[in-house]
Amino acid sequence: MQNSNTENKGATVKRTGQKEGFVQTLKEIWSYREMIASFVRRDLRGRYKGSVLGFLWTFINPLLQLMVYTVVFTVILPSGIEDYPIHLFVALIPWIFFSSSVNGGATSILAYKDMVKKIYFPREVLPIATVTTNFVNMLLCFIVVFGVAFVNGYIPTAGVHFIALLWLIPLFIIEYVLSLGVAFLAAAVTVYFRDMEHILGIFVMAMQFLTPVLYNFDQINSEAAKTLLNLNPMSPIIQGYRNVIYNQQIPQNLMWLLYSFIVGLAVLIVGWFVFEKLKRRFAEEL
Amino acid sequence: MQNNADSIYSIEIDDLYKHYRIYKDKGRELKERLLFFWRNKYTKNKVIDGISLKIKKGEAVGFVGHNGCGKSTLLKMLSRIIYPDKGVITTRGKISGLIELGAGFHPDMTGRENIYNNASIFGLTKKEIDERLDKIIEFSGLGEFIDAPVRTYSSGMYMRLGFSVAINVDAEILLIDEILAVGDGEFQAKCMKALRDVKARGTTIVIVSHSLSQIEEICEKSYWINDGRIMMEGEPKEVHNAYLSATVQN
Repeated sequence: MQNSNTENKGATVKRTGQKEGFVQTLKEIWSYREMIASFVRRDLRGRYKGSVLGFLWTFINPLLQLMVYTVVFTVILPSGIEDYPIHLFVALIPWIFFSSSVNGGATSILAYKDMVKKIYFPREVLPIATVTTNFVNMLLCFIVVFGVAFVNGYIPTAGVHFIALLWLIPLFIIEYVLSLGVAFLAAAVTVYFRDMEHILGIFVMAMQFLTPVLYNFDQINSEAAKTLLNLNPMSPIIQGYRNVIYNQQIPQNLMWLLYSFIVGLAVLIVGWFVFEKLKRRFAEEL
Repeated sequence: MQNNADSIYSIEIDDLYKHYRIYKDKGRELKERLLFFWRNKYTKNKVIDGISLKIKKGEAVGFVGHNGCGKSTLLKMLSRIIYPDKGVITTRGKISGLIELGAGFHPDMTGRENIYNNASIFGLTKKEIDERLDKIIEFSGLGEFIDAPVRTYSSGMYMRLGFSVAINVDAEILLIDEILAVGDGEFQAKCMKALRDVKARGTTIVIVSHSLSQIEEICEKSYWINDGRIMMEGEPKEVHNAYLSATVQN
């Protein structure tokens, strides 16, 4: 009945005016993994009320969005895209993962300000938990997406399509990295500027129009517009999802996808450093 | 580094300084900061003004002083909630705090589930919590209520559960801020006994409290903090007498 596990955690901690080492912070976040898991579980359970019906209920929001856009782009302003709802659906779900990670990430520290002011835990836990919650939520939504696609005849038949589906894994990773980077930035800055939340709302909306969610990338005629769109790191990611599920082929824009990954890593590094710098005054600023 | 880890001191504080920024009229929003940038001036308010001290492993010490003397700030710096401006704090071993009992409790979840929520905030892994679960439940004395939602608990039951999680983290350093001022007599007595047990196992304890008698009961050393400096340190009764007579004179 000895406490065998606490020994290696009892590291010597020095704190000065300087920052802690990167490896030390990472190790500490890892030792708090149960806290991240616990936050994710609690958040999902709160959303779904612990049942499948509860999960379906949270699905009403994306479903209504889907209906509105479908009416706009098939009846009012016909886009000429075959199976428009599915075309949209495969892009909308990953887009919602990104946008809710940014918006939720922005308020992740503020939402737990009483805890941040009174208890020590690695502050990185809060944005990480927020992004992970939204990620798990996306995975669950994808089950529905696959169901709908399947019913509409998007049935994986040939071997090529299975290989294409494997591409979902790198797509998940790239989008997670980018979302986490933006969430770190948004979380830290919003502590200092409370209205950042609203500014970010506009930013996310603008970014959605610069991402081929509602329309198809190939519909764009202007080369300049295509370049502009590709520079937005979310754009190749969303096209990748659409290629894999809707077009049933591997992503057609691998170079741009690599670009998205590099931008995502860069954003994560910048976001991390900004967060590390600003987190030291969180308890005083809240 | 090996020598360092074997040091007999579990806490070392060397020439510590901390000030807070007191803003006259601070903008909380980007809009305000841009439009009224001249309002962002602040004055520095010194809270910790050059403190150095060493606390041995297994020692229990108390910090006393009037409100605003800096003792709670010192405790917050020990737990890493805030960071010093200057100076070095070295701590050896896992730190747990009896500062906010029941942090992260979710009202709709049962006591048992909330043990996992709460203990994870102290940095325990699932396996470590599993190992401690029986001990925590037993100490809380909640019996069958452990499987009832926490929203049905009385405030006393809530505190008991929070305390029994925090005390069973098995930290090497335990930080306590005014926690024992709450709860009924029986609960307080149980807490004091638990603290003595933890101390007997070699845990270093730091208490900030206005209850001088509680410090005298547990600690072998007391620090009187005034205006961010150590006024006096030594045997608790002596320090407290000096502190009390100074308070009366003012």
